[in-house]
Amino acid sequence: MTVLRAQNITKTYGGVTALADGAMNIEPGSVHALLGENGAGKSTMVKVLAGTIRPDAGTLTMDGRPVAFHSTADAVRHGVAVVSQELNLFPDLDILANLFPLREPRRGPFLNRRAMADAARPILTRLGLNVDLRTLVRELSLGQRQLVEIARALLAEPRVLILDEPTSALDRDGSDRLLGILEVLRERQVGVVFVSHILEEVMQLCDTITVLRDGNTVLSGADRADLRIDDIVSAMLGPRPDREAAPPPVPPQAANGPELRLDKVSVDEVMTGVDLRVHAGEIIGVTGLAGAGHLAVLELVAGLRRPSSGTVRLPGDRPVPRGLRRAIGAGVAVVSGDRRGRGLMLDQPIWQNIGQVRSIGLSRDGLVVRKSALRGRARGHVDRLRIRCRDVDQRVGLLSGGNQQKVVMAKWLDASPAVLLLDDPTRGVDVGAKAEIHDLIRKAAADGAVVLLASTDLEELAELCHSVLVFYRGQVAARLSGADLDQHTIVRVSNTGEHG
Amino acid sequence: MTAHRQSETGEKVDPAPRSWGHAASLSQAKLPSLAVRAGRGEATSVLVATVALVAFISILHPEFLRVGQLLDTLQSAVYVGLLACGMAYLLSMREIDLSVGSTFGLTVVATGLMMNEGLPAWPAAVLGIVLGGFLGLVNALIVQFVGIPAIVATLATLSVFRGLTLALSDGKQVTGLPLESSFFTLLGGKTFGVPTSVWVLILIAVVLTLVLRFTPFGYRVRSIGSNPDAATFSGISIAKVRMQALVLIGLLAGLSGVLGLAFFTSGDPNIGTGFELQAIAAAIIGGTPLRGGSATVIGACLGAVLLSVVTSGLQYFNIPANWSAFATGGVILAAVALDSLVRRRRRRESAKLGL
Repeated sequence: MTVLRAQNITKTYGGVTALADGAMNIEPGSVHALLGENGAGKSTMVKVLAGTIRPDAGTLTMDGRPVAFHSTADAVRHGVAVVSQELNLFPDLDILANLFPLREPRRGPFLNRRAMADAARPILTRLGLNVDLRTLVRELSLGQRQLVEIARALLAEPRVLILDEPTSALDRDGSDRLLGILEVLRERQVGVVFVSHILEEVMQLCDTITVLRDGNTVLSGADRADLRIDDIVSAMLGPRPDREAAPPPVPPQAANGPELRLDKVSVDEVMTGVDLRVHAGEIIGVTGLAGAGHLAVLELVAGLRRPSSGTVRLPGDRPVPRGLRRAIGAGVAVVSGDRRGRGLMLDQPIWQNIGQVRSIGLSRDGLVVRKSALRGRARGHVDRLRIRCRDVDQRVGLLSGGNQQKVVMAKWLDASPAVLLLDDPTRGVDVGAKAEIHDLIRKAAADGAVVLLASTDLEELAELCHSVLVFYRGQVAARLSGADLDQHTIVRVSNTGEHG
Repeated sequence: MTAHRQSETGEKVDPAPRSWGHAASLSQAKLPSLAVRAGRGEATSVLVATVALVAFISILHPEFLRVGQLLDTLQSAVYVGLLACGMAYLLSMREIDLSVGSTFGLTVVATGLMMNEGLPAWPAAVLGIVLGGFLGLVNALIVQFVGIPAIVATLATLSVFRGLTLALSDGKQVTGLPLESSFFTLLGGKTFGVPTSVWVLILIAVVLTLVLRFTPFGYRVRSIGSNPDAATFSGISIAKVRMQALVLIGLLAGLSGVLGLAFFTSGDPNIGTGFELQAIAAAIIGGTPLRGGSATVIGACLGAVLLSVVTSGLQYFNIPANWSAFATGGVILAAVALDSLVRRRRRRESAKLGL
């Protein structure tokens, strides 16, 4: 008997269809995986099920009766709860206070802590969290916090529980813990929706699988036992595309030129024995599931992390200096997709943002900052990078996302870096600006920079990089290039660690 | 969101925020007329407020307009004014120094004591300024190595420095100074008919404005206040810049103390109590926002002048002495409220343009 059934769910945002005719059947005591690439419609489906948004069309039925959720609180009243990736706990309160954020038992005007503890203890024990209930949540490990959050959801006696990306790293403990949690949920006859991008985990833990792609349901409630990881990857990414008209440019033959080098680099609990060489003119991608160790490569080169063994050398065979600031001084550029947080001063004009590294951070232009010179240079960048703005005195916060990201590129290119580290450089940028930023990256490489690219956008990796290193549990599982380099292979190797 | 914030310093305001995208406006935008620039200058509202207040007092009490009275008012604004210049730097990088009043007091007393010990006045004065810088360094080192925010560190040193002042002077006035020295006659007297300390303030204000607008240090200070993470990710060391700014304000407090000693010709161990709050008020009235990202040194000086006008102006109204602090607070509130209203209206105008 199905608890919650979603049928023909459609949702459009400003003319873009996020989800078309989506369907899911959630059975009690069963775990249903919801999979898809970024932008496939997963989160839209979750939001509809959880009452965060209302669909444009389609129906939800619970126990055969149609329902409409007006809010998340309404959904909770109907017995649908969400445990999300960002844990929504109060770190400065103790476990008990976190378990009863609203429905706390009272005695007169006071909390009835004893009743709260009596209600909570069996659930926590069943979940395997044997910690004093007066412990502050701040003092718990990430895994323990997750159990607290699950316990909080269970105290509301849900019929359906949505686990939204419950583990971010591929660690054994996380998977075992999850297995235990799901066992409890199954035995309580809760219907579970499991949203994840870690396919190995999905194969271990789930009973049925729904895959979305571009808002469409490509696999609906299929039995996990009938599927292999390859089938799921194909469903998520669609048929393998023909090679692009323009193949990636041939890597330059500069074996003797300056290179960025990692030799047998290990970082405790993050990566082991990683070797990497990037020549001037090359664009090398690093990728993997969250926590696989690929981002640590960027941090090592930026001086934000020190290797516990092995060496990292910048082009020209120089060591990476300690600390971000010195690394920047040594010619490392860090273009982050988090342009609002790490990239820009939104309340300041374009010229000031563009000059920030070369003239201000590194004071390469002497002890006097001449505004006219900075503006002149900024105008040059605005023309070259085709940044669409009124003039260089416009505040950066008023530009579109794509143009803001171009300003970030400009401020780093202004300092003519030897190493360009790109972390999701086109996050949230429209297609046109994205292509232009890709051209800029290619040009920077052609001009002699060493380029390292980390991206959650697999298409970007496949399109832009000469080769891509796929990390799996702290090691390089494969180096893909040429005909091997496509999204399917990246996803498969990221998830299985096996290539070939 | 930050996107809607109005840029705060006159220089950085978009030259033509009211004309969208006309090519013709570009040439005008590059060289807005001096009047327009002055009109948009951030120090304008405090200047207008000061002039209006002086006019108001003078209408009721014309004797306030005497040159002597006005110069006295300026003279008494110098000490807080110098502190406010440094405070503008700190506020614009989202930091604050609460110990400057005590640094001021300690410098006054220590410099006087050095003179009493037989050190000639001028070397003692130089040492006094160095002492101020050293106390700023102490603050910076505490912030850096104890790892606490500047507001907490300087809250402690506010007491520590004041305590030192009282202990060194035994709680008594430092007197018997070599008043015949050119130090006292020059710095405590007038030059070209204006108190020398006022000239010093003007000089310092000009220099610090240039530093703020034309050096990497000045840009770094404002960058940190605008977005600390982006500053770090641009190769700016927040720790280093903060240290430099705290030493700067210490040096300014030292200079202010030395000028104070020259004028008062004796060292009261309680002198400068509460100056830190006046300096913060002056900087804010002058147009340096607490959220950081921009500063105006000239505005901070004018803010100090406004406070001084309030204090000396109140003497002309038969306000009982016990009500003068109340009245001062009221005027500060009015000045800040006026400024905020003007800003909000400006912001709304830009919002209408879809900014």
